[in-house]
Amino acid sequence: MTTRKPAKKSAERASGLPYFSFRRLPGGAVLLSNDAGFTASLRAADFALFSAGRLAKGTPLHKELAAKGFVRDLTDFEGCAAACSKRNAFLGAGPGLHILVMTLRCNHKCLYCQSGALGAAGSRSDMSRAVARKSVDFALKSTNPGITIEFQGGEPLLNWDVLRDTVLYARRRGRDLGREVRLALVSNFSLMTEEKARFLLQNEVSICTSLDGPADLHNRNRTYAGGNSHAATVRWLKYFNDSAAKQVPEYRAFKPSALLTVTKYSLGREKEIINEYLRQGLSDIFVRPLAPIGYARKLWPQIGYTSAEFAAFYRSCLDYMIKLNAAGKKIRERNAVIMLEKIVNGSDPGYLDMRCPCGAAIGQLAYNYNGDLYTCDEGRMVGWEGDDLFRVGNVMKDSYRKVMLAPATRACASASNLELQPQCSRCAYKPFCGVCPVYNYETQGSLWGDMPSNERCALSMGVFDALFGLLAKPAGAKILKGWVTP
Amino acid sequence: MSKNIAIQVSLKKYTLETVRYAAHSLGGAAYALLKPLPGDKVLVELAPKKGSGAGLPGRLSAALEDERLRERVAAENRDLREFMLLKALTWRPRPVEKDDSGLTPQQEKELNDLIAQIEGEIKGEAGAAASADPLGITSTWEEKHDNKKAGKKKR
Repeated sequence: MTTRKPAKKSAERASGLPYFSFRRLPGGAVLLSNDAGFTASLRAADFALFSAGRLAKGTPLHKELAAKGFVRDLTDFEGCAAACSKRNAFLGAGPGLHILVMTLRCNHKCLYCQSGALGAAGSRSDMSRAVARKSVDFALKSTNPGITIEFQGGEPLLNWDVLRDTVLYARRRGRDLGREVRLALVSNFSLMTEEKARFLLQNEVSICTSLDGPADLHNRNRTYAGGNSHAATVRWLKYFNDSAAKQVPEYRAFKPSALLTVTKYSLGREKEIINEYLRQGLSDIFVRPLAPIGYARKLWPQIGYTSAEFAAFYRSCLDYMIKLNAAGKKIRERNAVIMLEKIVNGSDPGYLDMRCPCGAAIGQLAYNYNGDLYTCDEGRMVGWEGDDLFRVGNVMKDSYRKVMLAPATRACASASNLELQPQCSRCAYKPFCGVCPVYNYETQGSLWGDMPSNERCALSMGVFDALFGLLAKPAGAKILKGWVTP
Repeated sequence: MSKNIAIQVSLKKYTLETVRYAAHSLGGAAYALLKPLPGDKVLVELAPKKGSGAGLPGRLSAALEDERLRERVAAENRDLREFMLLKALTWRPRPVEKDDSGLTPQQEKELNDLIAQIEGEIKGEAGAAASADPLGITSTWEEKHDNKKAGKKKR
């Protein structure tokens, strides 16, 4: 919010307008939004009338605006407060996502890897059983009613014995405490075996992998000296897909999911990538932009792109997916689903990178192999580069309270509060967006960053512009809304 | 190398805050420097980051108008926003009211009839004095207390 000042100059008549943000969209329409998260798209001429307080009463547009809290005299404060409360319900919960880095070792050398992975040999960077168990205990201290423990790396299967023990321990502790504990594994599948897969299924561990598209593209991005990365990925995707399709009474088998990281090599290959996802039986695709952090920063000239190039790629992906959906094929884009959950349903999808404040420490914690705690996995990667700005404690030494009150925890919460960001506080996408202090720090040298020249902001704008552009068209809106309504 | 662009903005038309926000919004395209000028004016110097920056004066003009509107609605609605956000922070869904009177339908009907009868009698007795409000129950806090303050001042 701006600093307090007199409501109006004495010579200036009060506008009678309520509080709203607006954005002039590329097509000429103007998007309105408010604190309750309601939006309305106006033609430029209607916006001129609206902002001058001369919009005719009783018209359908006036009624729509009144129902959404854009007519001050007719605002339903109870309804707006309820909507605002619903979309910010996460504020009262503690960290829900707990990322356990089982090892820094990895047998892949992906072009964009942010994790600072070491080679596959040695075990000095493996999480010990004691640290892993202590991490589970720490995660269970969170006030969040349902926590997710995500096993990551490096490649977590390289530390299988400890991973296996931690899964069993987390299940037992969850049962003892009557807590809901979700377990998830992020793996490249290269070390997956039938025995490991069965154990993961039996213990209801959900599985996520990376799939960057057809074999040539995937293998170009994800270098694997030990063989064909793509072949291992699709083999085990099929296995877990088949298990989810069968289901058995003893446990729930989850459908596997995959992440796409877009590099320069992906541009122009939207259809091939989406077709590959369909071929592998995946119904969701997460079109994730590359971040110039970690190893990717060094290779940025080779694999990076501009926000405008990503926006064009993203829009092409959405257009193609909408065509496929119209033809009866079910595939959704995860960024869109997350944003639509906020825009259409007015609820919080629990995505920690795009919320206000961001999830750093208060929504998630990253547990390094040695027990060091970071605000998030990106913060841990900065730590790996020798800068411990985002370190908030250590599971073996520090209390939950101390971690929640750590300077980095508080700094990230402040820096990612959009009301305190000069550009974001006035942005029409504020109710749905979020900034990343780690990204800002890595690319602009401060936790706060500078949004008008921030590439992540430009990427997010591109995604929102594409979504609101499609939502303005009945055919696109019907399909997009169908992605988040049963 | 591209040339810097200097634009004078009247502070009689726009507040300094508006000028600052408008200049900042162009930060992706240009570095902006604000300098005070005599006669209630400010100089906005824009150093384009790429190209000639030919479109920048037009973009600044549009941004000034948009920022002025934003500043105005923010200032006019500050208290209402605080009220609404406070309400949101303390908002709880209303519990669903259950019919747990424990009365049979017959007893409930008798009770409703009795209440209606008493209400009718009260209405009748109130008569012409119905609009009076001797205790000030319908007055707002401000109406009550502002009157008292005004009275004190007079004395």
